[in-house]
This record gives sequence, structure tokens and C-alpha cells, in this order.
Amino acid sequence: MDKMSYDSLGNLRVLDFTGELGPYAAKLYAGLGADVIHLEPMTGDPLRQVGPFYRNEPGMDRSLQFLYYNAGKRGMALDLEKPEGQEIFLKLCAKADLLLESFVPGYLEGLGMSYDRLSAINPRLVQTSITPFGSFGPYKAMPGSDLICSAMGGFLFLAGIENEKPVRSCDNQAYRMAEAYAAVGSSIALLFAKRTGIGQFVDVSCLEAAGMALENAAQYWDLQGVIRRGRGKVAGEATIHPCKDGYIAIVAIMGKNKVMWEPFVGWMKEEQIEEWEVFDNDKWIDDSYRATKEGYETFCRIFEEFTMKHDKLTLYEKGQAHKVALTPVSNGKDLLENPQLAYRKYWNTVYNPKLSGDITYPGAPYELGDLKWRLGDTAPSLGQHTAQILGELGYTDGCIEALAKEGIVHVG
Amino acid sequence: MSANFRKALEGIVVCDFSWVGAGPIATNVLGQCGAEIIKIESVTRPDILRKGGPFKDGNSQGLERSGYFANRNPNKKCIALNMSIPEARDVAVRLIKKSDIVINNFRVGQMEKWNLGWEDVKAINPRIIYITMSLQGLTGPHKSFMGYGVNLNALCGLTEQSAFKDGRPFGTGTNYTDHVMVPCHTLFGVMAALLQREVTGKGQTVAISQLESAIAMKPSDVMAYAANGDLLGPLGYGDAHAAPHGVYTTLGYRKWIAISIFSEKDWRIFKDLMGNPGWADETKFSSLSARKENEDELNANIDAWTRDQYAGRLAERLRTNGIQAGEVNDARAAIEDPHLIERNFWAYLDHPVVGSTLYNRAPIVFSKTPVEMKTAAPLLGEHTHKVLTDILGYSEEEIDQLTKKNVLT
Repeated sequence: MDKMSYDSLGNLRVLDFTGELGPYAAKLYAGLGADVIHLEPMTGDPLRQVGPFYRNEPGMDRSLQFLYYNAGKRGMALDLEKPEGQEIFLKLCAKADLLLESFVPGYLEGLGMSYDRLSAINPRLVQTSITPFGSFGPYKAMPGSDLICSAMGGFLFLAGIENEKPVRSCDNQAYRMAEAYAAVGSSIALLFAKRTGIGQFVDVSCLEAAGMALENAAQYWDLQGVIRRGRGKVAGEATIHPCKDGYIAIVAIMGKNKVMWEPFVGWMKEEQIEEWEVFDNDKWIDDSYRATKEGYETFCRIFEEFTMKHDKLTLYEKGQAHKVALTPVSNGKDLLENPQLAYRKYWNTVYNPKLSGDITYPGAPYELGDLKWRLGDTAPSLGQHTAQILGELGYTDGCIEALAKEGIVHVG
Repeated sequence: MSANFRKALEGIVVCDFSWVGAGPIATNVLGQCGAEIIKIESVTRPDILRKGGPFKDGNSQGLERSGYFANRNPNKKCIALNMSIPEARDVAVRLIKKSDIVINNFRVGQMEKWNLGWEDVKAINPRIIYITMSLQGLTGPHKSFMGYGVNLNALCGLTEQSAFKDGRPFGTGTNYTDHVMVPCHTLFGVMAALLQREVTGKGQTVAISQLESAIAMKPSDVMAYAANGDLLGPLGYGDAHAAPHGVYTTLGYRKWIAISIFSEKDWRIFKDLMGNPGWADETKFSSLSARKENEDELNANIDAWTRDQYAGRLAERLRTNGIQAGEVNDARAAIEDPHLIERNFWAYLDHPVVGSTLYNRAPIVFSKTPVEMKTAAPLLGEHTHKVLTDILGYSEEEIDQLTKKNVLT
């Protein structure tokens, strides 16, 4: 056995025919060394058109998200609606372990490439479909954006309090959740396929992924008949407060946990902040008091008088030194300059020759003992590896040239 | 769907020391796919989520009424094992010998105190996948910093943009990172290690930094700052590539409709559906960039149109015409959603103390292997005797001796 197979999933071959929805699933495989081919339509992955862009100038190779989600993958562009394009796709499926796709349910079947057909060619193939609502059920054909899936799954509702409208999370989290579960579901099916020789179809929807993230909201309804929303106005219990250069988050107490509250009071005393004595009172241990308007407003008035004098990082390090669970509300700059992440060399800054500039990427989400995480090569330009991949399938240079001329593939 | 002839993870055994959020959610998914999860607790150290609301009928007495705990722990077997008594280690060792995965989310050093750190466990069973979780990694100046879900949401950058203009950032309203990023990456790491074990025959460690795994699912803020020096501002309910895109008031208590319009074609259809009001044809709304520029006014106009309509009926009408729209469902509405019901996303399981209560399936449907919830969350120690005799091979006399020494509590 060569060394490769010990430190990477190099024995796995993954086809990634996804776009705005889907790319993180295959990225997880690429990150551990699997051979991932990102298939794109001839017009390119729509994610290429999604900002923010490098230097804020749109362009096929300038979408920062595209560059992140598709790093470490090879790229091929083909026309799946032409018979020769389908033939290439079927040949790829014959050699693949996993196909990840985010087509509208029924699209591949309509082209004569149902899972049954693919499975007849390669019985071990796992096909994972990532869609807004899933491949069966009354909404299967409905279009759905990240916002709509978050809303219908009950997840968005939680992101607000009282009668306020909810706010969204960044980076299309309903998509990201579905992608993460698609990667997990695929890996479970792959293990089964390795052991039994039997592949299968895996159906993952953004709606269900959002429904998985309701914390305890479904049980609040089921057990107590209560509809809950987010938290945010219970004094010192998961509250956000302004400071000199932004905001901080604090959990100074939970439930009736006096042991948690004491270090906070000690800190306030040590800082000699005005009215710190108000916090040195057992009424704060009572969560029903902290939930009152008076409790919340008193907490804000006294604590924010102090926080407004300091910046995020100072408050973070001081609070933590006093065993208070306080963290900054980080923005991109804070994260890039975060001392812990810098120490751990989390960020990867790589020169991109196509852009003549550096791109900074998030790094490894985990550390495995033997499998080594890697960022991999820069995300492919459109059709960058088409010729190489067709060559591996046995197409001659002449054939490849003809396919390109006929508009069946794009050779970048 | 083909016949369910076998479970995908049949035969995989998990020795589960994890508690509270991320760890139990990860093992819950493995359990639904057929792995045998043996959860280790003790009356001296119960999973603290057993004391977390909601509770059946609002009654928080005892350790068996929490729905928060229950939904993370169906299918699992629970043994009561007081690890502070030296003889308990032998039970854990026997379980580790039978296991494929050992997972914990204790603070660093706890497993080593029991001589069950990776080196010890590897010597007991070299095929083990050994999972540890830390907040920010095992090295670095902030390695010992503390934080809860809300802290991590804020620290990783998830909260910053979840804000309305001129308002305080809010975030998801949940301990999002604990419930999504951390368990998902744990699961993928575990499965990658299991796939690799098929090749190498050896186990390995999987170390999750909660902060680092969270950032991996939200790259834009840092990438934009590093590339362009830009700070991404409050998102509200908007999207840079769509307008209108948001949440609009409808009839009823806390009822809204979500609408996303990404193309000029959809905008034209939407205008028709609104009855082509005069304002919609003004130049300030004539292109995406114009609508983005005048988004507050655009949203106010749409809100005025939606506010005397029912969200469900309006969403249906918009969708029929190809517009992306949906109700902002609260939990009850999501539980009653016909699509989720048809997909068997929800299940009601019987429990000896609280009766029939609600659980959700992992968001994965396989065509040939089942994802199922068979039994409700375990009572603390419910399966101690069964696991010790059936799986670990203890005799009744040995169990009596362990019981006398209070090991099985």
C-alpha cells in the first residue's frame, strides 16, 4: 500500500454537479484528499456570479465563495443535454464512488439518467441529491431559496424576539446545513457500499436540515404548548452589548447558577465600575427577575457604561481572565486578526496567478490523526481539467478537440 | 423505495461519553442509521441537558422529563457508570473493546485522568475512532477560554451580520454552532476515519475545534476583508443579489411571509400579482441595483400589500406563479407541515415517564437503508444490566459485586 492511502481519502472518487446549493459537501471530501471533479454546465456554475468578488469586480474566476467552496477540486464543463455529453457523464459515473448533485428533482430522470440507470452501470455508486425540499413530497418541485427554506423549516422564526421580524444568518446557512448533512449521509452510504457492494440514492433537503436546527423549539410546542423565539433580553444570559468598537456577547449566568454569577460580580467590583454593588444582590440569581424589563435595562445601563469604554478584544481577554463567558461579536477583520486563530495558523493565504493577488481561506475544520486536511489547488477555471479528465476516460486528443468544437464540452 | 433489508451502520458500536449538545446530536445521527450507541452517565453526573427545558407539562422534577434531552437521544442505550470509582474503568474498558468509536466532549484531561486518553484507548483497541471536542483547539493563547453556544456564534462571526441596520446584532436565536457546525463536522470526521479504517485496519483520532469548524461554514466575511478590506454589513433579511428579498407582515399573531426575487422576470411576474401598483413602475424600482438602493421603501410598499393577506394563501398563490415564497413557520407550523409529515420527518415515541412525545429524524433519507427512531430517549441507567450482561459478558455475580461498590450508579 502506498503512503497516499494512509493520509488521504485518495481512493475515493467524487463527482460534484452542484452550484450555489451543494458545493460544501464535496469540499469536505476534497479537504481529506478525495479526487473530486466539479462538473459545470457550459455556461459555468452560477456560483461564479455570486459576490463578494475579488477587488469587488465580477468575473468568472473572481467569486470568493466559488474559490473557497471549489478549492481542491478539478473542473470540467459539459453539456448534459446532448447525447455525447450524457455519454461522458455516464462514463464518469461508472468510475465514481459518489455523485453529488443539486438538480431540480426529476431533471436527471428526464434526461434518461435516473439513479436506476446509473446504478445499472455502477451498482456501488452512491448518488446524493441536495435540493430545497427533497426528491419526494408535495413541495418537491417548488423552487426555494435559502430564505424560503429557513422560513418554512421553522428556523428563521427563532431569529428574533417578541414581535420583531426575524433576521437572516450570513452565508446561506440552510444551504450549508443541507450540504453538511449531504456529506455525512453520503459517507454513511459509502461505508455501506464498501461493505456490501450496494450503492444507493440519498435524499437531503434544506427544509429538513433547517428543521434539524430548531434546538428545542419543536419540543416546547409538543410538551408545553409554548411557541418560543430567540433569547436576547434576559439580563446577562446570552445578551449582546455595544462596546467602543462594536459588540460583545456575554453569558454571565444561566438558570439559577449563582456560582456562574459570582466571577462576573467580582470582575465588576475589581474594575470599580459605577453601581457595581447593584449586581452584588441575590435577585440577579432569580431568572424571572432578569427577564423583567427593569432587570434587563438595569443590567444594560450599568454594564454598558463600562463596556463602552473598552474595545472588543480587551473586554474578551479581561472577561475570560475573570472566568466570565464573554466573547467578541467578530467581524471579518476581528477574525483575521484573532490571536488564537493566528497562533494556530488557521487562515491559508495563497497567491492566485489568475488574479495576480492573494486569497485568504478558512482552514481545517478538524484535525485527524492520520488523514491530513488540505486546502488543495486553486478552484478550477471553467473546463480547466476537461481535457485531462477525458484523457483519463480514454478519449484521444482528436476526439476531445472535436467534442469541444461541437460545444459538448468546454476545454479551458 | 426498496425494501429495508439492512441498516447502513449495523454492527458499529459507539462508546458515548458525550453530553449536552454537539456530541449527543452526532451520535443520534449514527444511531438513527443503525449504530448501537451506549451512552455513559451517572446519577452523580447526569447529562445536564436532562435539566434543560422544555419539560413534559412544564414539570421539571426528576431527570426524565426534558424534551431538549430527549430529542438528542432516541435509540440510545444508557448505562449508569460512576467513573469516580476505580472499578468503573474495567466496565469502560470492556465496552471500548467492543466499540468502534469513543466520543467525549469533556474538558481536556478528563479522559486521561481515567487512563482513557487516546494512547490508553489505542492500546485497548487499535481500531477505535477517538473523538475529542474543544472550544478553540488544544494549543494557543485562548485554548482555555470558555464559552457557550451564543458566545461561539458571536466569536465565529455568525452573529455580526444577523442584524438590522442600526440595531444590535441578534444571531440565530439558538446555540447554532453547537447544533449544526460542530456535530456535522464531527460526523464527517468520524465517517472519514471509518472509511479509512476499511483500507488501513486502524483507528485514529478526530479532534474538533468548535470555533474552526464553525468558521468553515461561513467564509465570506474574512475572505472579503482579506481581499478587499471590506466589512460585510448587517444583512437584515436581505440578499446582495435579490430584491425584493425579505420577510413581510401578514394577518395574524407573529405571521410573516418570506419572498425572494432574484430575476427581472420574477419581478415582472410579482408586479403583475400585486396588480401592477403605480409605485412598482417607478424608475427607482426598475432594476436590481435600483431596488437595492431603495430597498427600505420597496419593502415598506410590499409590506403594505401583504399585511392584510393570509401568509399561507399568499405563498400558495405566489408559488403557483413560480415566485419563491413561503410562510415563516413557527415550530408548531413546521410540525404540522404536510410536506414534512409526508416525509416522516417527525416521530412520536413512547416513554415510560412522559408518554408519547415528539422527535425529529436526521435530515437524510436513504433509498435502501432505514433511518429510524425505534425507542425514546433512555432513562438514566435504563440499560445498565442489559448492556453488562448481553454485550459486555458480565455474570450476575460480577454485576452484584459492582452494584455493592456503587459502580453502577
